[in-house]
Amino acid sequence: MADRLTMPQTAMPAAGVRTPSADIYAPQWRNFMFVAPFLFFFTTLLVFPLLWGMWLSFHKADTFSSGNFIGLGNYVRLFHDKVFLQSVWNTFYFVLLTVPTLALLGLFLALCLNRRTRTAAVLRTLFFSSSVLSVTIVTLIWRIVFIPNVGLLSTIYGWFGATAPAFISDPSLAMIGIAIATIWWCIGLPMMLFLSALQQIPQDIYEAAALDNASRWQTLRSITLPSIKRTFILVVIIQIVLQFQLFGQAWLMTRGGPNNLTKPIVLYIYDTAFRRWDLGLGAAASEILFILILIAAMAQYLVTRSRGDQT
Amino acid sequence: MKLKKILFAAVSAGATALASPSFATTELNVQRFFGACDADFGTNTDPTKAVGECGIITSLINKFNADNPDVHVNVTTVEWPGYDQLTAQFASGDAPDIVTIHESVLSDYQSKGLLMPLDDLLKSVGVTPDAFTDAASNGATKDGKIYGLPIDSWTMLYHINMDLFKQVGLVNADGTPILPKSPEELLAQAEQFKQKTGKPYFVQNLANETALYTRNLYTYLFQQDSDFFADPKHVKLNTPEAKNVIEMYKAIFDKGYTTKDLDYGGSINAFLAGEGGVHLNGTWVVGDYNAQSETKGTALNKGGYAVYPYPQLFGGAHAQYADGHTWAVSQKDRTPEQTAAIGKFLKFFADNDFEWSRTGHLPAYKAVIASDAFKALPHRNAIAAVADLGKPLPSAVQRQFAIQDIVGEEMSAAISGQKDVDAALADMESRINELLANI
Repeated sequence: MADRLTMPQTAMPAAGVRTPSADIYAPQWRNFMFVAPFLFFFTTLLVFPLLWGMWLSFHKADTFSSGNFIGLGNYVRLFHDKVFLQSVWNTFYFVLLTVPTLALLGLFLALCLNRRTRTAAVLRTLFFSSSVLSVTIVTLIWRIVFIPNVGLLSTIYGWFGATAPAFISDPSLAMIGIAIATIWWCIGLPMMLFLSALQQIPQDIYEAAALDNASRWQTLRSITLPSIKRTFILVVIIQIVLQFQLFGQAWLMTRGGPNNLTKPIVLYIYDTAFRRWDLGLGAAASEILFILILIAAMAQYLVTRSRGDQT
Repeated sequence: MKLKKILFAAVSAGATALASPSFATTELNVQRFFGACDADFGTNTDPTKAVGECGIITSLINKFNADNPDVHVNVTTVEWPGYDQLTAQFASGDAPDIVTIHESVLSDYQSKGLLMPLDDLLKSVGVTPDAFTDAASNGATKDGKIYGLPIDSWTMLYHINMDLFKQVGLVNADGTPILPKSPEELLAQAEQFKQKTGKPYFVQNLANETALYTRNLYTYLFQQDSDFFADPKHVKLNTPEAKNVIEMYKAIFDKGYTTKDLDYGGSINAFLAGEGGVHLNGTWVVGDYNAQSETKGTALNKGGYAVYPYPQLFGGAHAQYADGHTWAVSQKDRTPEQTAAIGKFLKFFADNDFEWSRTGHLPAYKAVIASDAFKALPHRNAIAAVADLGKPLPSAVQRQFAIQDIVGEEMSAAISGQKDVDAALADMESRINELLANI
C-alpha cells in the first residue's frame, strides 16, 4: 500500500486492476487549522459585529444598555429624519464632486508625468506625497489656507483688496472646500494607477502609429485611452467606495456645518450613536451605508467580471 | 550555574523592590478639558504664577502631586468637551477615576449609574455642601445627592474694547460703557458703532458654531420669562419669545453688526486685534483678557478692557444662562487607599477654589466669593452679579449638549438666512422633542 502511494501514477502498470490512488485534494479536517487564525479574527472582528449591528438596528438601544425589540422602528425614524436624508444627499454630492475630478485629474497628471525625465520623477513624488499624510494634518493644512482674515487665501485675496470666499462657513461653498482638500489628499493613488497602466502599453504600438504619421491627439484617442479603459473603471470604483466613507475631513473642517450641509452619513452615524447615545438609530444608519457601499462594490465586481469575459 | 544564581538573585531583588510598600504610590487617572499648555506650565507648581484656565489647572495638579508624594495623578487632556471619548471609555469599562464634567451634563452619566455619589467621601475630608454657593450646589446635586465637586459657575459675558466704545461715545460720565436696555437700543448702538468706527459692534464666532447661539437664546428666553423646558421631556421653542431673539440676532447679522466667518480661535484673535467692540465669550477669558489689557501695545491696552454680564434687553426676569464645571468620580471598585486619594484630590480643589476663580469663573464656594481676595481681583465687582443672575436649564433635562447642537444648527441657519425663521424654530422644536422622546 505504501509502495503504491509513493509510486507515481504514470508509472502504474497498464494492465491489471487499478486501485484508486489517494486523492491529495480531498478535504481534510486538519487543513482547517491553516485558516483557523484568519477565520477567528474574521468572525470576531467582522462577521460578529456585522450581525450584531443588524440586531442592534432593530432595537431601541443606547450606549449603556440594549433595549427592546422595535422591528423597523429605527428605519422609520431614519427616513423621517431630515438630517439623515440631508446626509445621504451630502454623501452623494461629495462623491459627485470628488470622484470624476480625481479620475480626470489623475489621468491628466499621469499623462503629463509619464516620461523618463528627472523633473517628472520629482513631480510624481510631489503629487504622491500628500497621500502619505494623515487626515488630521491634511485638514489642518487646509484650515490654514481657508481660515478667514489670516488664512493663505485671505492673504492672497487681500493683496488685490478682495474678500476671500468663506470655504469653511459659506453654505454653498463648504462642501466644495472639503472636496478640494480631499482631492489634494487623494490624488496620488489614481495618478499612480494610471501611470502603471500607461507603462504597460507596448511601445511598438506607438512606433507603428508614428510610422503611420498619427498625430498626438489620434494616438491618445485611439491607442492610449482604449488601453487604460479597465484601469479607468477600477479607479472610479475604488474612489466611489472610498469617498462614500467621508468622515475625518468633514468632522475636522466644518463639524458637518453649516446646518448639516457637510454632514456625511458616517458623521451622522457618529453623531447619533456616540454623541446622542442613540445606538439603535446609529446602527440602522450604518446598515443603510452598508447597503450603499455593497451596491458600489457589486458594481465593481460585475463590471470587472464582464470585462474579463470579453478579453 | 553561577550565572544562573546571579540572575535569580537579581530578579528576586527587583521583585522585592517593586513589592516593597515604601515605593507604593496610589495612581489616579484624571481626565480634563481646558487645553494643554505643558510648554509654559508643565513644571510650575505655584498656581499663583499661572494665568488662564489651562495654566492654573495644570499648576494646581502639579502642586497636588508635589504636596502628596503618596499619590500620583496621571492627567489625560482631552479636546473640549471630551464627552464622546468619555462615553466610549465608560462603555468599554475604562473610565478615568476623576473627570471634568459640566453640571448640565452630569445627569446624562448619573442617570446611567456611572458616577459615584460624593456626599460621604466629601464629608470624610471635611467638605460639606453648605459651603457651596446656591448655583454650584443646585448644579452638582442630582436626585438629592452630589455627583460632582463643583469648582465654578460660568456664564457668557460682554467683553468690551473700551477704546472703540470711547471713539463712538458710548461711555458714561463715570467711564463705564453704555450698554443697551432693549433690542431696539442694541441695534441703534450697533449702527452708531459701525458708522463711527467702520467696525462691527459684535465679535462672534459664528463659523460652524452651536454653543454660542444656544447660550444667547437661553439667556434672552429667560429674560422674557419663557418657561420653554416646563416639561424636561418636551421643549416649547416655536414661540413668539424665541422668534424675538432670533430676529434680533438676524438683524445684527444682516446689517453687518457682527463678524461672520470666524471660528472660536479666530474670534479671540479678532477681538484682541481690536476688530470689534463687544466679544461674546465666557467667564474663562477674563483673566487672559485682563492680562492683555495690562500689556503695552495691545488693542485692549489702548483704551482699556471692561467686562459685564449680558445686558437686560427684555422686560422679564433678570437672568442669564449659566452652567458650571465639576470634578466627577466614576463608579468603580476601589481600594480604600484609592478612595482616600480621590478624597484628597477633591479636598485640594475645594481648598484652592480661589486660585481657580482667577480664571474669571465665579467661585463655587460662598467663603471665596465673600473673600476680600476675590473682590480685589480685577472686574469681579462687575461680574459678581452673575452669581444671582445665573440660571441653568432644569437639571432633569438630559442630553443638553446634543440639544445645544440642534438649537445652534437651526439658529445659525435662520440667522444666516439659509432657512426661514419660523421653519427653523419648528424644526428645532421637533428635532429636540424627537431626541428626548427616544432616550
